[in-house]
Amino acid sequence: MRDARLEIRIGGTGGQGLILCARMLADALCARGKRVAQSQTYEPTSRGGFCNSDLVISDVEVDFPLTTALDYLVLLDRLAVKPSWPLLKPGAMVIADTRLCPKLPEGDYRARHLPLSRTGIELGSERVANIVALGALAALAGICEREALEQAVRAETPKSFLDLNLDALAAGYRLGEQATSIARVTQ
Amino acid sequence: MNAADKALSPKAAVHLISGNHACALGAIAAGCRFFAGYPITPSSEVAERLSRMLPEVGGVFVQMEDEIASIAAVIGASMGGVKALTATSGPGFSLKQENIGYAAGAEIPCVIVNVMRGGPSTGMPTRPAQGDIMQARWGSHGDYPIIALAPASVREIYDETIRAFDLAETYRTPVVLLYDQVIAQLTETVDLGDTEGLMRAERKWASGPREAYQPYASGDDGIPAMSRPGAGYRVHTTGLNHAENGFPTQNPEAVARNLGRLLAKFDRHHDTIDSWQTLSCDDAEVLIVAIGISARAAARALDIARARGVRAGLFRPITLWPFPEKALREAAAKARAVLVPEMNAGQLSLEVERILGGKRVDAIHRYNGDPITPAEIAQRAEALAKEKK
Amino acid sequence: MIVDSAPAFDVRDYLRLEMMPHFLCPGCGHGIALRALLWAIHELGIDKDKLAVVSGIGCAGRLSAYIDANTFHVTHGRPLAYATGLALARPDLHVVVITGDGDCLAIGGNHLIHACRRNLKLTCLMLNNEVYGMTGGQVSPTTSESRLTTTTPLGNSEPNFDACALAAAAGASFVGREVTHHVPKLKELIRAGLEHPGFAFVEVLSDCTEIFGRKNELGSSAEMVLRQKSELRPSAYRDTVDTPFRSNDLPTGILTKTERPEYGMAYRKAAAAQRANTAARASAGVNERKA
Repeated sequence: MRDARLEIRIGGTGGQGLILCARMLADALCARGKRVAQSQTYEPTSRGGFCNSDLVISDVEVDFPLTTALDYLVLLDRLAVKPSWPLLKPGAMVIADTRLCPKLPEGDYRARHLPLSRTGIELGSERVANIVALGALAALAGICEREALEQAVRAETPKSFLDLNLDALAAGYRLGEQATSIARVTQ
Repeated sequence: MNAADKALSPKAAVHLISGNHACALGAIAAGCRFFAGYPITPSSEVAERLSRMLPEVGGVFVQMEDEIASIAAVIGASMGGVKALTATSGPGFSLKQENIGYAAGAEIPCVIVNVMRGGPSTGMPTRPAQGDIMQARWGSHGDYPIIALAPASVREIYDETIRAFDLAETYRTPVVLLYDQVIAQLTETVDLGDTEGLMRAERKWASGPREAYQPYASGDDGIPAMSRPGAGYRVHTTGLNHAENGFPTQNPEAVARNLGRLLAKFDRHHDTIDSWQTLSCDDAEVLIVAIGISARAAARALDIARARGVRAGLFRPITLWPFPEKALREAAAKARAVLVPEMNAGQLSLEVERILGGKRVDAIHRYNGDPITPAEIAQRAEALAKEKK
Repeated sequence: MIVDSAPAFDVRDYLRLEMMPHFLCPGCGHGIALRALLWAIHELGIDKDKLAVVSGIGCAGRLSAYIDANTFHVTHGRPLAYATGLALARPDLHVVVITGDGDCLAIGGNHLIHACRRNLKLTCLMLNNEVYGMTGGQVSPTTSESRLTTTTPLGNSEPNFDACALAAAAGASFVGREVTHHVPKLKELIRAGLEHPGFAFVEVLSDCTEIFGRKNELGSSAEMVLRQKSELRPSAYRDTVDTPFRSNDLPTGILTKTERPEYGMAYRKAAAAQRANTAARASAGVNERKA
């Protein structure tokens, strides 16, 4: 049997912590009994080039572990738009950073422009934009219990950054929840 | 189980780990206690993991000065009686070939991981390929037998790493563990709770008086018993063609006898060496043959094809060399066409054509670094099915 | 008066006599070097069962087959790399490498410099006969300038390596050189190398009479050995013969001897500390953060 799957991509540039944030989500889902496959594509440069981290989530063993039809696309940089666009499933949700990825092409998808990196800056570091995005994605997609995600963030974060990361996750959840309610009104 | 083992043992049955991490875990579980390597993308994580894990279990990790030194040190450690591993990718695999031939000829067990990336030459270090299928079999000069295993998932990398050591030790041979960059760096949910039953083979060691011991005598099973340095046998090991006593010879009869035994070494052991997986082969009109990430795509393609009324099946060799020929012939018996999707310009398809002589063998050959998708395979399978009707 | 209680040295006790006659050419210096090695092993009382000899390809590489020990005749240029694996995996063995100038300095040069740097306990005996003898007499990294070989028909115009200077520069903690003319001195140097607790590089200036000597009209084997004393390597006889030294003179004896941590020991010590640390954390019930 083909797995009934959910596909997520977190796209941006190298150095934004995309793999780590996908890893946290994967940990959380795994802890709740899901089968997960997480892969990444990256350029030889470790900083600045296009980078993406993909998740395929299923209740049973994942057969093909790479993404073929994205249900969710998170964009933390405009560089990730072009290589990800052909993979969008019709009706997929695209969560894009207002500052770093302001413009999106036409298509059959639901757009959520959120101030992910700005929220990170306001919290004290743009480097936590990935965790803000993680919170927003979790809230919008409803794929993961918040408690499990918090636990995964704790497990993967060094002590000195733990408070900052948990704040970023909470801020991301707020952004996601607000966007959900707006979406309900406008749809 | 000692304290160090306990520290490494899974805390829970389910893990989220990468293929290269699974390889390191499998090696430790198999009893590997020596690793020598040289940094290369995309296999370096195997070395990085083992640099931490091996000292925990009393083993040795060493980063050598180059790829050749790495395989040489691994063979040296195994000559000392210690299970040993190295890991590399295409360019390093090429560099190791002469010494892999030495290990095959002198019958020194060892395991070589080759994570396949784009080629030729430096190729595409961070992109997958499956272009070393033939090199794994024929990479060193002269005639020699070798075993190559091709796992397709993170869990299977763990299992096949253990099996690689078991086969290496049992049959005194180098074993190549061949997987692509996708599987190597893929992180998957794996269940390591049911690994207790996996075999743990030990080398057949020499016993009895020194005078009666012949280091390359055939024995009952064609596999000579090895002597451990320090056990009093004081034998000579050489890459020169040698007789049963281990010393160099150019006597045609002695060379033919010993090399003949070597070349036929796996013939009586197909039951334990061959391994493959079949999916929906019983009624398949189109048989797909694939390994690694291409086989994962093919598995998904089966359902897509069947939903369109095409009876597709999958034959996936897990032991790649020696190729499970008999099993492939059986799986393909009813198929009217065979499709080989692979990330190279035509390697597995050559072997399939050879084995299935005369049957229609089509292929998807991809060498641009993009994995072949399930949809592409399903589409080609459908076209093949229609072509025949 | 010193009474030597050790049994007298009989080289046959250390040879695989069934392998005789050996394949070395008459007059070759390698047999002298082999005898000196076995003599030093005898004096040190090294157990043949615990002795591992790893050799490469070439005339020098063939010597391991004649030694009654655990012997490994490996690929060209790689004996130091094989020996590194063997010595790390089996610290209970006494590992000796026999290699030639081409094996060690050309195709295996990378392994030499890193073995010097790493300082794993190994004794590397490099037999330098200035030529690739086994393959018929081609130029090697140590062939003297202007010498004729089958691949330098116009005379060698490449400068040659000073192997000992190379080893010392790469960090070898023991470096020595000796000539085959002076067997007791050679034995003493090899013995000191075997006793050294780290990587020991010993260069033996040997003679290829049949190929290199003949091509360069250096006379009979006896004449070639005498030239070591009178012309080519006079500092070996600095204290015995009053000979005017030439500018290209190669110093002999122990040239470098320093104390620094032996790699295998240092690794095992660090590993034991890591294990103790892990065990302590496990018993303290510390929850380790995921790697």
